Amino acid sequence: MELKKLKSSYNFLNTSKTLYAIVLSISIFTIIPLCSIIINSMTTDYTYAISEFKWFFEFLKNSLIILFWVIILTFIFGVLSAYLVTFFDFPGANFFGYALILSFAIPPYIFGYSLSAFLENFGLGYSLLSNFFGLHDANIFLPDLSPLTYCILSLSFTLYGYLFLLSKTSFLNQSANLLDLSKSLGFSSLKQLFYVVIPCARPAIFVGISLVAMETLADFGTVSYFGVSTFTTEIYNTWFVFDDLKKSNLLSLILLIFILFFFVIENISRKNSKFHQLKNDSSNYKKKLTGASAFAAFLFCFILFFISFIFPFSQMIFWSYKFPEYFESLNLLKLNLNTFILIFFTSLLIIFFSFTANFGNRVLKSKLLGFLSTLSISGYAIPGIIISVSIISFFSIISNYFNINLKSVFIGTFLGLIIGYFFRFYSISFNSIKSNYLKINYSIDESAYLIGFNKFTMFSKVHWPILKKNVFFIFVLIAIEILKELPITLILRPFNFDTFSSKAYQFASQDLIEAASIPSMFLIFWSSILILISYKYFFEIKK
Amino acid sequence: MSFLSIFILFFSLQTLSANEVNLFTTRHYESDLKLYNEFSEQTGIKVNVISGKSKPLEKRIIEEGRSCEGDVFFLADAGRLVSAQEKGLFKRIGSLSIKKKVPKQFRSSHWVGITKRARIIFFNPEFTKYEDIKDLSYDDLSNPQYRNSIAIRQSNNVYNQSLVSSIIENKGLNFTKNWLNGLVKNFSRQPTGNDRAQILSVAAGESKFAIANTYYYALMASGQKGEGQKKASEKVKPLFPNQNNRGTHMNISGVGILTHSPNTENAIKFIEFLLTSKAQKHIVNNTYEYPIIDAVQPSELIQKLGSNFKQDNTTNVLSYGKWQKKAFELMRQAKWN
Repeated sequence: MELKKLKSSYNFLNTSKTLYAIVLSISIFTIIPLCSIIINSMTTDYTYAISEFKWFFEFLKNSLIILFWVIILTFIFGVLSAYLVTFFDFPGANFFGYALILSFAIPPYIFGYSLSAFLENFGLGYSLLSNFFGLHDANIFLPDLSPLTYCILSLSFTLYGYLFLLSKTSFLNQSANLLDLSKSLGFSSLKQLFYVVIPCARPAIFVGISLVAMETLADFGTVSYFGVSTFTTEIYNTWFVFDDLKKSNLLSLILLIFILFFFVIENISRKNSKFHQLKNDSSNYKKKLTGASAFAAFLFCFILFFISFIFPFSQMIFWSYKFPEYFESLNLLKLNLNTFILIFFTSLLIIFFSFTANFGNRVLKSKLLGFLSTLSISGYAIPGIIISVSIISFFSIISNYFNINLKSVFIGTFLGLIIGYFFRFYSISFNSIKSNYLKINYSIDESAYLIGFNKFTMFSKVHWPILKKNVFFIFVLIAIEILKELPITLILRPFNFDTFSSKAYQFASQDLIEAASIPSMFLIFWSSILILISYKYFFEIKK
Repeated sequence: MSFLSIFILFFSLQTLSANEVNLFTTRHYESDLKLYNEFSEQTGIKVNVISGKSKPLEKRIIEEGRSCEGDVFFLADAGRLVSAQEKGLFKRIGSLSIKKKVPKQFRSSHWVGITKRARIIFFNPEFTKYEDIKDLSYDDLSNPQYRNSIAIRQSNNVYNQSLVSSIIENKGLNFTKNWLNGLVKNFSRQPTGNDRAQILSVAAGESKFAIANTYYYALMASGQKGEGQKKASEKVKPLFPNQNNRGTHMNISGVGILTHSPNTENAIKFIEFLLTSKAQKHIVNNTYEYPIIDAVQPSELIQKLGSNFKQDNTTNVLSYGKWQKKAFELMRQAKWN
């Protein structure tokens, strides 16, 4: 009996050690890009970096102006539309409740392309005005937006989805009693929004704002297309023009610190949200709107949906229809296949490793592992182009040091591409599983041990059944990101390998947005399908 | 584990082929791919392609070192070719037949130009008389008489950097500094959009001059950008600057053979093919660039702009690479965004 007990505790220790080693390896692996940036930044020539400091404020100013307006606009678009569709009944309210999430399917840079192609001199807007209204000089009727405004609009109309999604989920969980109370106190709808609804949803809104801020700060495609100098364009210029990759790494590190600031806010807000979540005790609390107010609510949501989704998507369809010859140059079957294989293997790898890491963190309760896992989320905040460079450098250093040829296995191969995506999108999966794990009480684990479960049976019989419904949602999130991803694909891909986004980029670089519209259309189509089949999960994530 | 190895094997098998040439390119023309197919049909040599941005591809080639499978690097801008050569990416090109075909100022010992691009001025005859500006040079663009006149894209654009580099090479740093200050004051709007957007601004009467590469104009005139833009192209006229001195600024896109190229012989055949009349015709008719060999005429749309102009044949394109960083620094100091 004693022997058996001893043996089992030996096994326990042994599996703990193995698990520790595995989780430690995963965590260390995921922070390779971060380490690469830090090492490269440390070896940069600081005197030169300091002499260039005046430019730092120049592009920081633009980044902050864009950030400020994008936060304001996404807040208005996202929170107000979520408020309308959750608390009011008006024509189309249910439809918009789901339709507005589709804005996620449009990458900001593609929205930017279509906005400028529509508003430019002699562009699509010009053709419409002159053909339908017979205007002679239609250019003067189209607004002449500044590059900064173009960026702000493109980012706001494609990122407000975060605030819409998170506020709607939070609103759905708000107590009807609280709202009844505010009503009996004589609060108007507007007063109720500002004094009850928004304050109660504050943590969720902060999470949304942080996500918007992170995306805005890391955006390169949109700002570079419109020619606004920001932090990210400076990272590119430093490398592409001044040929100083080390300084480029230093700038990435500074950007990363900025982004991490928002990440910390997001994490704190998520923790706080636990205390703000009130039980939903009524699911049918909706005020019916009539007349002008119903029309106004409809119009607001409709315009938002129209500009953010219908406008860019229909433009893509229009061009594909008008220039069908561009279909010929695309091997659509291969493009679809490439995309699906990439999505399949990447999500498999990411989901498997992030489950293992989360499980290890939970049962081993190691501070070191916890710390390393927190760092591992940095991948999402590092520009894709810098991630690719760190992968190339890493495998090159390892190959040279150990005198083995890892380069031909990992650089310019399908496997290397998947690893690039892994670094970039690991945090999406890791965080999502982590937040779900937090909802499982630790007492459940203790009870499981008491009735004789070991770690792995606990995972398979206790944790997995609770967590598995989340897997599909994580898959969808990763898939959408992979569909849109560009810089890593461009650098790490094998010969003759294309995705929808790399093809769209190729045509756009040729100044043929018309041809780019076909791959973009597919990209938006698949993202929309993924969003639609998983829409119910979007509102369950916080429940 | 076995699953993983099968998977790795499957994807590595795709790249194994004996008779091939592997190409890294920063040119994104779909028509280039068609041309490569023609080469394959003619010679039986398969062309494998990766397109991307120049610096990341450069970094990838350097880090891959000896295991880099690439044979040829195709870059759009002379400065970038120089940068790649300076980093030791290219091996010497020995083939005499290649050297013979390309004029001296458009090649080095390690790379050769394949196409030429002219960066010219477009104006709107409705608002500006040709007679008044026919002798315009790049230098004149900074004159105070042209306040609020010029549309040009951003300073981080490599074609602008090469143009400014050519001015540094010919006129010196001090002149260029002053010239840039005057030029930026003459901007009609904050630089945004590509070269075509600048031409459209002139067509719409918002700007007096647009500085742009000729193939953007041809793209509009070809109807590939829709009827509206085709009509807009008819509203503008070209002006080839510097006809009374060194000639209009020319840039190139060109190729070099990578140092560790595993298929050097095929790479040479590939470059020789790109310099044949047939290939040059294909390129100029699809991308609207200028041919690098004299035997071929530019596309009809480009010829309409006027093919009988004086090209800058004195400034060696190598100087673009030498001055590009300095050019960008000066452009930023002059507040050219």
